[in-house]
Amino acid sequence: MKLTVNGIEREIESPPLTPLLFVLREELEVTSPKAGCQQGGCGACTVLVDGDPRRSCLTAVAAVAGAEITTAEGIGAPEELAPVQQAFTHHYAAQCGFCTAGMLVAAHAYVEGGGTDDRHAISEALAGHVCRCTGYVKIIDAVAAAARGDSFDLAVTAEGQYTTMQSGGGS
Amino acid sequence: MKAVGARLPRYDGVAHVTGRTVFVDDVRIPGTLWVKALRSPAHHADVKGLDVRKAESAKGVHAVITWKDVPLLEYGHLSALGIPADEPLLAKDDVRYKGQPIALVAAEDEETALEAVEAIELDLEEKPALFDVRKAFDADAPRVHHWGNWYPHFEAEMDRRQIRKGDVDRAFDEADAIVQGVYRPAAIEHVPLETQVCQVVPEPNGRLTIYSCTQALYFSLGVVAAHLQVPLNKLKLVGGTVGGGFGGKVDTATETMCSLLALKSGRPVKWRWTREEEFLCSSTRAPWHMEIADAVSKDGWILGRKMLTLHDSGGYARFSPYGLTKHSFHHTGAYTIPNLSFDGYVVFTNRVPTTAMRGFGVTSVSFATETHMSRIADVLGLDPFEVRLRNANRIGDTSPNGVVYTDPSTVPTIQAIAEHLGHELSADYRTMTNAKREGELLPEHLVAQLGNPEDH
Repeated sequence: MKLTVNGIEREIESPPLTPLLFVLREELEVTSPKAGCQQGGCGACTVLVDGDPRRSCLTAVAAVAGAEITTAEGIGAPEELAPVQQAFTHHYAAQCGFCTAGMLVAAHAYVEGGGTDDRHAISEALAGHVCRCTGYVKIIDAVAAAARGDSFDLAVTAEGQYTTMQSGGGS
Repeated sequence: MKAVGARLPRYDGVAHVTGRTVFVDDVRIPGTLWVKALRSPAHHADVKGLDVRKAESAKGVHAVITWKDVPLLEYGHLSALGIPADEPLLAKDDVRYKGQPIALVAAEDEETALEAVEAIELDLEEKPALFDVRKAFDADAPRVHHWGNWYPHFEAEMDRRQIRKGDVDRAFDEADAIVQGVYRPAAIEHVPLETQVCQVVPEPNGRLTIYSCTQALYFSLGVVAAHLQVPLNKLKLVGGTVGGGFGGKVDTATETMCSLLALKSGRPVKWRWTREEEFLCSSTRAPWHMEIADAVSKDGWILGRKMLTLHDSGGYARFSPYGLTKHSFHHTGAYTIPNLSFDGYVVFTNRVPTTAMRGFGVTSVSFATETHMSRIADVLGLDPFEVRLRNANRIGDTSPNGVVYTDPSTVPTIQAIAEHLGHELSADYRTMTNAKREGELLPEHLVAQLGNPEDH
């Protein structure tokens, strides 16, 4: 069984009924999709399967064999942000960041699919995604900006650092 | 002051939107064991038997811990402030809330850990449970806590947080009306998108590296060191990346137990709570029961307040005595009331222990006092904005606990709210400032409470 994840084709060793979320996180070490509830309720595990948002926690890997999987890592790198990533950064739509990767791929699919800046339509498109920090207003602002094709001066923001837990070593 | 009014990038913004941020659950450590907990299925019970031998000998299980494995079983989150400990890290003689941890397993994978938890033999003798703080004081109420049904260790071993100011009986004698209200905000679960999660790595140099999602790294450092009875330099905590906390990640929920399992198994361990565990077993914002009776004059002065607060602490004290203390200091809200009688109790029930959430102890009392201000205006037939401005904190007024206000913001805040809502204030109130009281706004009943802001 094969998957193409963020443009890289990989042979999958996990059993066929393994949730796609587990395959991504534990076998392929692609960690932006999160195990927020593992019941399909929070949206933090959302990835794009052939361009469509799917809950990876409820998707058996065999059901998407051969598909193109896209996660937040694959939408755009720090030095080459996609429009929704620029908009999320500019509008402060990511706060703690835990829901962001799922929210962002759904927003990307919405914008790529020709979604407009209509706030109601954006709310519908992101309805299955829970965020406890922002109150959603900034997220909807960001998606609307990306849908309009707003441009941002991200000369400064693109230099933002990674927040990475340093590995142990005990020193 | 370069940052004020400027657009500054979040230092972690780009990492968040490109999926590069590494949260605790994303740290990859080869050979990590999964952790699962045996939690109390009962709200209230005595532990009659606990046998983990089958779980310990199961294939793929590397360590099982119970209360016997904890060097210092009871250590309170406020022990460093002299508040005595009451909660065992793992249940010993009794369980006081559904979901209380009793034993933990570290195994090769999640399924093996779950099967080992199932293999633990637990014998509980259930007891009647108490869920309603209003019944905690009844003679026939179930006894929840070894200290009794309410916290008895405030200063001078008082069993309540008590405030007395002025002469409240005289205020009630002189009142034109008594306005009463009962306010009962419910428990709230924080629901961070990141559930409680921890990874602990035993290092060859004898230290433990602890990856923690805590909001309070140094609290956790002290708590883990105390339970383990090791010096702080044996622990390296790695934190700062929190997938939502809101107060719910102040309690040290996982780090100590994972550290014990890492030490016992000699392997790295990871414990990630399920969403169900997060809802059932993680601490919540407390439910509160607040009764207010105010002595008021017909022109809208609050002459005195009597207040009773019952703070639902759940099965153990944790931070609740501190939360109730903050609550008591704020029980007049943003207003000055010279005559006070406040009694607040930290009440134990068979609910999950409660904790901080956004304005710990104060949010509840703000809800009650602001609702009550509007109720007073309603009863007296007065403008609710003007009742607030009349009684608003001014320079020189004193708080319930005797702090002299030097720059209170009630007046401009209420004026701004009125303006934004298009609410017309009369000229006196529109031009009011927070300057020291004088003239009509310094009635006789407020003279004695005045302090000197210069002394502050």
